[in-house]
Amino acid sequence: MSRGVLVAGLGNEYRSDDGAGPAVAAYVSKRMSSVESKVISEPLDLIGVWDDADLAVVADATRSGSPPGTVQLVDLGGGEDPGSSAGPMSSHGMDLPRVLRLARALGHAPRRVVVVGIEGENFTDGVGLSPVVALAVSEAGELVLQVIDEAVACA
Amino acid sequence: MTHQRPADSRTVHVEGLARVEGEGSLLVEVRDGTVETVELEIFEPPRFFEAFLQGRRHTEAPDITARICGICPVAYQTSACLAMEDACGVAITDQIAALRRLLYCGEWIQSHALHIHFLHAPDFFGCQDAVELAGLDLSAVQRGLEIKKVGNHLMEVVGGRAIHPVNVRVGGFYKAPSREELAALVEPLRRARDAALVSVGWVAGFDFPDIEIDYRFVSLRHPDYYAIESGRIVSSEGLDVDAKGISDLVVEDHVARSNALHARLGGQDMYLTGPLSRYALNYGQLSPLAREAATAGGLGTVCNNPFKSITVRAVELVYACEEALRLIEAYEPPDPPAVAVPGAAGIGHGASEAPRGLLFHRYELDADGLIRSARIVPPTSQNLLCMEDDLRRVAQANLSLADEELGWLCEQTVRNYDPCISCATHFLDVSVERR
Repeated sequence: MSRGVLVAGLGNEYRSDDGAGPAVAAYVSKRMSSVESKVISEPLDLIGVWDDADLAVVADATRSGSPPGTVQLVDLGGGEDPGSSAGPMSSHGMDLPRVLRLARALGHAPRRVVVVGIEGENFTDGVGLSPVVALAVSEAGELVLQVIDEAVACA
Repeated sequence: MTHQRPADSRTVHVEGLARVEGEGSLLVEVRDGTVETVELEIFEPPRFFEAFLQGRRHTEAPDITARICGICPVAYQTSACLAMEDACGVAITDQIAALRRLLYCGEWIQSHALHIHFLHAPDFFGCQDAVELAGLDLSAVQRGLEIKKVGNHLMEVVGGRAIHPVNVRVGGFYKAPSREELAALVEPLRRARDAALVSVGWVAGFDFPDIEIDYRFVSLRHPDYYAIESGRIVSSEGLDVDAKGISDLVVEDHVARSNALHARLGGQDMYLTGPLSRYALNYGQLSPLAREAATAGGLGTVCNNPFKSITVRAVELVYACEEALRLIEAYEPPDPPAVAVPGAAGIGHGASEAPRGLLFHRYELDADGLIRSARIVPPTSQNLLCMEDDLRRVAQANLSLADEELGWLCEQTVRNYDPCISCATHFLDVSVERR
């Protein structure tokens, strides 16, 4: 069953820049109230939330070595390899590539997954984004809206 | 990991233990057919939470310490609340205590469902992870997800969020959920309880290594029910103390290879906390259905095989679902949702049963309620010596295995504990060396 578009803000608002994903989801929700938007703390919890969506846009903080505040888009399409996991599976959860593989194995993966990331600077305990990351939220939010607009136009 | 034929002397080194939280490695050295050295090397940096707490208000401890762990925040919040209430000489109401226990059931359901189905079960199928396991047993993975979701939902309703609940405060809660909000959880919890019963049968059918260890069990015990969120600390050797007593008895040593402290009772004896201990010391307080499930799952009243901890966790999962249902049926919204806990000079202690074992806190407050000193002793650091002892026994009994198989078995031995290295640092990669 098709579920349209879902925006998931992935991250923990209590780990500083890890809250970038939820901030982007909040930005999108304000600009496009008709789109379903959720804040998810743990990637495994995407399963059940993004099931069978036509498009799931996951906003997340990244740690790639790029300058802090860099906005990146990764289109995982409908069946592409989601990439390698960051490391061994933790006792405390699974990362996004593993969760996407699991969702596909379970047969309820979204038809298309796009990740919009903001490179974080500080992931220590605490509330609030670094200034350079906070400044990038609107850019990332607009990119999410553009992805949605293009997907709807092509539907 | 190196691939070589078994030799009388060798080293197996696993660098980066999988499916455990945090960073560490495992080294096993074998000399002339005897396991000579077993070391869990823990190199995740200490988190300095205890120092960070100094100078903070007593009311801040539950929220700050909850950040230590993403999977057992309720355990940290509960032990912190108990300690602060103890320090300030305030008792909570029965209704608040019941709601605290209900929230804790949510954490047990969430954590046990995750560990059983996603982290521990893949070992018994020779799978690297749950994604691979889903290819072999899709329904089991789906079942684990469904149970975990119910735990998340319970945490959201009572705690305000599924991760790092925000509704907990010293003295109780910011807001009590309504009866209607909890009533909506009844059907999902019944389904989760029934699914957990299926999972007991599923894990009981696994092929377990044949090993029995005479552990010194330590856990909470409550006079009225299976201890989770409060109680005295008891052991299989007759210990019976309160939270202050265990804090006084447990001595933590730093060893060079590890950032985690190693805990000993009376400074000498290693001891085990966690599911096997709770089960052995409190079996009679499990619900009849949980005891029936345990019997059907092949367990007696005590389980000494660490690999069967997965079955014990599944039994506890059944219990947590049933207990949550009982608490919801009896629910009376606490009014007010919290008792006032004015800061006062004093020393307080609190202990509760995190999913992976006993967690105790000790705080000293000044007259303004500011924290002068803090001590947090997580379950993984209490279990580290038992983990190394288990590894020594398992490695010695399986020296005929090639390095790769032996390394895998050693990793599995560590995962029996569902260790949280991050919580304990203040932990995993595996090597076996044969010389």
